Amino acid sequence: MTQKLEFNQARDLDQALIDSDVGSMGADRLIGRWTNTDAQTRGLREITIKQTGAQFSVSAAGAGTDGAIQWLARSVRPLANVEEEAGQRGIALAADFDFGFMKAETYLRVNKGVLVIVLFNSFRDDSGRSDYVTREFFYRRD
Amino acid sequence: MEFAQICDSVEPVAISRRPVDVAGLPGVWINSNPQTNGIARIVISEADGGLSLQVYAIGPDGLIDWGVRQVQVYSSTPSSRTGAGFSCRFDFGFAESFLQGMIMKGLLVLAELRTFKDASNRADYFVREYFSLEHQRF
Repeated sequence: MTQKLEFNQARDLDQALIDSDVGSMGADRLIGRWTNTDAQTRGLREITIKQTGAQFSVSAAGAGTDGAIQWLARSVRPLANVEEEAGQRGIALAADFDFGFMKAETYLRVNKGVLVIVLFNSFRDDSGRSDYVTREFFYRRD
Repeated sequence: MEFAQICDSVEPVAISRRPVDVAGLPGVWINSNPQTNGIARIVISEADGGLSLQVYAIGPDGLIDWGVRQVQVYSSTPSSRTGAGFSCRFDFGFAESFLQGMIMKGLLVLAELRTFKDASNRADYFVREYFSLEHQRF
């Protein structure tokens, strides 16, 4: 039996997406403990990514005035990363953090051995701060 | 003022209540990859004090119009009032696309987080592509 797939961009029909197990697509490139390449960062100092079965967790240490501030993602979704060239596909993660006064919608990927996180930070308090986007780079610690 | 990383923190005197300047975002943005099989063109427009975005994606018989959505604008720091990125969500029923864009060196770097909601058993996917602004100066 053939199934007609709905789509609204040609990429949706990529054969590699069909019956794929995202969790097994090179997740080991992401798993581990990562340290910010910028020793003076005012953002995230460290990120830890773990996998248990099909589940991923992302935690981080934010730079604080009196030590690190713990970040723990409320939700983490693995996504097949189809941007890689030469058929070298891996995964990216979408991770959402919620602090009440602020939320951070992020994505993480590994590019040439460097973990890249892009954070879209939205303030929900009345502080008047602008929502802002940042990008940081991490090297593998272990 | 609460913060989760020092860079969230802003001196109150540095906070402006004026609207975010979005002048760098509107226009027609074209995918730098002529072989893309995803989003080909994005049109960003100012409307009602906000920004709207229209997407055209590659289809088998030409471009597919995804329609128009409002976007959330982001600056580059919490004290900046200059738009440097956006996010936007499209829900098509069978699938959902969450778009996150940021301007870097004049390029729009667009991440698409695509989630399938049908029973097709396709893998959700991530793709990041580059778009340049049609400026018609050269």
